[in-house]
Amino acid sequence: MAIGILAGKQNRDGGWPYVRGSSWTEPTAYAVLALLAAGETEPAKRGLRWIVARERRDGGWPPQAGVEQSTWVTALVALLPQEQLGARAHARAIRWLLETTGRESTLTYRLREWLLGNPRPPEEKFAGWPWIPDTAAWVGPTSVAILALDKEYRRRPSAAIRERIDSGRRFLLARMCREGGWNHGSVRALGYESGPYPETTGMALAALRGVRSPGTERSLAVARRFLGECRSADALNWLRLGLLAHGQLPAGYCHPVGIENRTLPDASLGLLAAEAEKGRDFFLD
Amino acid sequence: MRRTLTRREWLTASAGTAVLTGCGDKRPIVPSMVSIVRAPAYDQRIYETVRRMVEEHGLEARGRHVVLKPNLVEFEPESSINTHPLLVHAALEAFRGMGAASVRIAEGPGHRRNTLDLADAAGYFKTVPGFEDVFVDLNLDDVTRVRPDRQLSRLSALYLPNTVLGADLLVSMPKMKTHHWAGATLAMKNLFGVVPGGIYGWPKNALHWAGIHESIADLHAAFPRQFAIVDGIVGMEGNGPIQGTPKPAGVLVAGRDRAAVDATCCRIMRIEPFKIEYLRLTSGGGSHITERNIHQIGESLSAVATPFAVIPELRWIRMENS
Repeated sequence: MAIGILAGKQNRDGGWPYVRGSSWTEPTAYAVLALLAAGETEPAKRGLRWIVARERRDGGWPPQAGVEQSTWVTALVALLPQEQLGARAHARAIRWLLETTGRESTLTYRLREWLLGNPRPPEEKFAGWPWIPDTAAWVGPTSVAILALDKEYRRRPSAAIRERIDSGRRFLLARMCREGGWNHGSVRALGYESGPYPETTGMALAALRGVRSPGTERSLAVARRFLGECRSADALNWLRLGLLAHGQLPAGYCHPVGIENRTLPDASLGLLAAEAEKGRDFFLD
Repeated sequence: MRRTLTRREWLTASAGTAVLTGCGDKRPIVPSMVSIVRAPAYDQRIYETVRRMVEEHGLEARGRHVVLKPNLVEFEPESSINTHPLLVHAALEAFRGMGAASVRIAEGPGHRRNTLDLADAAGYFKTVPGFEDVFVDLNLDDVTRVRPDRQLSRLSALYLPNTVLGADLLVSMPKMKTHHWAGATLAMKNLFGVVPGGIYGWPKNALHWAGIHESIADLHAAFPRQFAIVDGIVGMEGNGPIQGTPKPAGVLVAGRDRAAVDATCCRIMRIEPFKIEYLRLTSGGGSHITERNIHQIGESLSAVATPFAVIPELRWIRMENS
């Protein structure tokens, strides 16, 4: 999708829908990033105004206007350039991320489990991020939160941010499927192993930039296999970004023809992945 | 102009239903009608079968807005994981034929975010002409905050998709499957798919923390105007709902009372319905789902029952002698 078409899908209120209808935070954040990358500042500014107006009192962002809950989409807001979003709003988004963990990592939950004599499963030893507070941490929101904090750490290093990035990456490594790669975050249930998905494999690899281990090598091999088989724009975007983060996108890779963008975030991420292939990575700059 | 019932009207209607079915008093329960029809394969005969089933239950669809809710889980067209698209298309044609004002297909998968890609891989684009025009991704639909009128879970309020809240009739179209946590996943559990991932994430983990069985019961209460058609032509046994193995049962099961439909499906699967917690919770101690309180038409249970294998941890839910 050309950047002009993306701009044309902007709602009157300045935000973007997933497909059509009301504005949501996720498609708006990705659209703003894509428009900024393309130098389309006017629609991006209107999108930023929509986002700034949706900030909640706790410093987080709701998924949609009118929803009374800050969620994982706060990490997408934190990925926006600090100078464009505004220093105070950006700092509050980062703080919200630092203060948010999966429920299984909270002191109350751990104390309760200890009192009940329940052993702590290995995959619960490291704090990740939930989709929505008071629930468990999962691969998707943990990956995006790491990406946002890593970007912030490159701009303004701090021990608190480093600690959460490291913990989040350990969380991802602990949730890796046996064959490599990731699904939504449930590696096994009742002793049965679960397999990886393309999209979450790409997301987790993007968040594990610079991490070398036998597990990440296995996952890179899984990602390359998915890249050749997959027919989903969303999954292909994340696979490209994940492989690029490790310098492993096959040389001369061509996006397959006939793959439809199903949603506007698919289109925005596709534009951002193309920019990243040219060396302008929105997760870093 | 499109006419939808207000929440207050729904509450009144569901309270009326509760009174009529005897909840909370000593009057005899009015048996719920459940039909079992043999359907040996996913072929063209299914269109006539579904049309007859829907008519048999006397559903009033003329001028109504109908939403069909299949169970879409994974990118595996050859497995028995998803509701078969031919069955969903047959229902779409049946309700259109009955003069429905609109018939939409709507689903919000629990693990995979790329719903349309999933529907494509599951064969829906190929089978349902103009699929994209009639489909709504419930994970990304606009939402309204709703307080369950009968709250059993720890969810004090829930954001639900407007497409489903505005439907005159919600048709739950699950696959007949075992489920490693809930025991069986049928018409009632299928409603987890109406909870929007765009708000709650993938998976919809808030429902697990609020209590799986209790959340199923709450969602059941939130949508009183439902019908169910269960795809048991080829179901799933063993480690369902994802990693199980195909189980041909050769039946479709339908009815307005989802608890009665699910209890009947359990009996076909040789699973004891009283051991499925959400069914007990929903049926007020269970009398509602006893065999004698279900008016069954079509095939007899004994003629179609076929034991579904369950994982070792769930052997206790199997019916005796199965």
